[in-house]
Amino acid sequence: MANEQERAYFKRYKEDVETRGKPFHPWAMFHDTVMSLVVVSVIVALACVWYFTSGEEAGESGILGPRYTEEADPGTTSFIPRPDWYFFFLFYLLRIFKWPESVVLGTVGIPTIALILLFALPFMDRRRERRIVRRPVALVGALLVIASMGILTYKGATAEESLASENVELVDEWVQEQGLSEEGEQGATLFAQSGCQSCHTYLGSGSANLGAPDLSDIGASGQSAEELAAYVANPAEFGNQVMPAYASLGEENLMLLGTFLAESTGEGGGE
Amino acid sequence: MARTKSKRRRQLEQVVVYPLDWVEERSGFVGAIRYFLFRKVPHDTNWFHTLGSATLTAFIVQLVTGVILAFYYKPSPNEAYDSIQVITNDLTLGWLVRGMHRWGASVFIILLFLHMGRVFLFGAYKYPRELNWLLGVLILVLAMLEGFTGYLLPWDQTAYWATVVGINLNATAPFAGPFISDFLRGGQEIGANTLSIFYSMHMLLIPGGLIGLITLHIYLVIRLGVTSPPWSQDPAGGERTEVVTAKRGLVEPRPRGNGGPP
Ligand code: HEC
Ligand code: HEM
Repeated sequence: MANEQERAYFKRYKEDVETRGKPFHPWAMFHDTVMSLVVVSVIVALACVWYFTSGEEAGESGILGPRYTEEADPGTTSFIPRPDWYFFFLFYLLRIFKWPESVVLGTVGIPTIALILLFALPFMDRRRERRIVRRPVALVGALLVIASMGILTYKGATAEESLASENVELVDEWVQEQGLSEEGEQGATLFAQSGCQSCHTYLGSGSANLGAPDLSDIGASGQSAEELAAYVANPAEFGNQVMPAYASLGEENLMLLGTFLAESTGEGGGE
Repeated sequence: MARTKSKRRRQLEQVVVYPLDWVEERSGFVGAIRYFLFRKVPHDTNWFHTLGSATLTAFIVQLVTGVILAFYYKPSPNEAYDSIQVITNDLTLGWLVRGMHRWGASVFIILLFLHMGRVFLFGAYKYPRELNWLLGVLILVLAMLEGFTGYLLPWDQTAYWATVVGINLNATAPFAGPFISDFLRGGQEIGANTLSIFYSMHMLLIPGGLIGLITLHIYLVIRLGVTSPPWSQDPAGGERTEVVTAKRGLVEPRPRGNGGPP
């Protein structure tokens, strides 16, 4: 409930506005109109720069990125996921939490806490003081939030993603090191092309994300090629809610992938 | 000296005034608009206070361009990508509409954060405006969701794979996670159902919610008034100190020192 002091403030406020305020129109209306015109002009300008510097080809990028990339294709997943910029902070937050058990902190925990703090703000900060320099906690808190959001957004924007095409060039190396069979090699190529490495690392390549384990010695875990293929086809069935289902790759490709994973024992090749 | 108006002029005024009076008598709308336009605001409102209406402008740009896009966009996996290409490359000014919608979304989010920042800076979330802050936070959440659902619609690789990751993130939530992600996907895989669900949320559910919340938000702004800048020498609702009352010419300033005026 509001206290006497607060009520008295609001009563004074209404009096002051009534006796000495200015009419909204034309006074504030003028400022608002100018600002709105600026906003619309900026939007139109961005649209123009985006369109006139980019090309009709998919992925033909201008100053502000391409008009569109290739059509969505669930089959070959050599594409590196990238959200719109205002989700970069979340995107990068996830890379900080590398262990499967802690991922939920990044995806749900921290955002939920941030939201609760936002909702609770007016109820935590009950002092009447409004000058920012006399609100040290609010000031420091705000600076920390701005700094961390800025850094996370920047890091998310510049994060190095290993490109699928680069990974494919590594397949020869993997064959050498793991002593892969013919089928294993085909599986390795699929692995490199299918975007697995935007979450999994393999023999030092790729980026660890969302708590996905390194797969260099997954074959040493004793799972068969069939078991691994079934896992990749539908990870949710095995309690993995993070990894997407790859059933769309088809029976045959899945078996190749399974073989590749089973042969990846991390023990060095050739035996 | 009262100047008598010509007959013609009086007739002309009638043409304008009569319908307004007619509406006013039956609804009170004219009075409401007049109140909105000529209500008093604190004398020290400044450019910071324009951020809210600027956000509103960006939102209206999204509504208008969004409706036009919906005329030509086809929400099915087979047609979506083609329709986006047609809009961008073939339709007259289609590129402008799509470009404005796409970049307007970013501008909207930036303005939202700036507006929120100014409310924070001014301590304007304090009594009696707490509720309006809460409405604002809800608006912020819905705006981010609007961005997330809109991102899938072009149905290109960027759209598809960002959504794959986004939906998988939801799945990590305890208990509800798997249900949320199954619901968003509309099944096991991202496909036609996902696109319909995202389209419907992006076009109907979330904008509907936003329009409702923004209306309430602005109603409260009008009802409660906006806060004077905290650094103002003479803020609306400030303490009645001597300096202030003096400045307003209500009482004589008390002479300094112990004597009269020098
Ligand atoms: C969006 C991120 C992501 C992508 C992309 C991804 N995975 Fe995973 N994967 C995970 C996570 C997270 C786990 C661990 C889940 C757990 O431990 O509960 C995992 C686990 C696995 C496992 C089981 C490891 C074990 O210890 O049993 C295998 C095998 C696997 N992934 C293979 C693949 C293959 C093959 C691909 C590409 C076709 C792929 N993953 C793509 C996130 C991903
Ligand atoms: C679509 C989004 C929004 C629109 C259109 C909007 C619009 C407005 C307008 C026109 C005002 C009048 C004063 C000003 O412009 O500063 C205002 C004030 C206010 N807004 Fe918003 N707003 C939005 C989002 C938000 C958000 C995200 C928050 C905070 C979480 C918020 C909190 C407030 C508060 C507390 C006030 C009162 C400020 C005061 O009394 O000085 N609003 N809003």
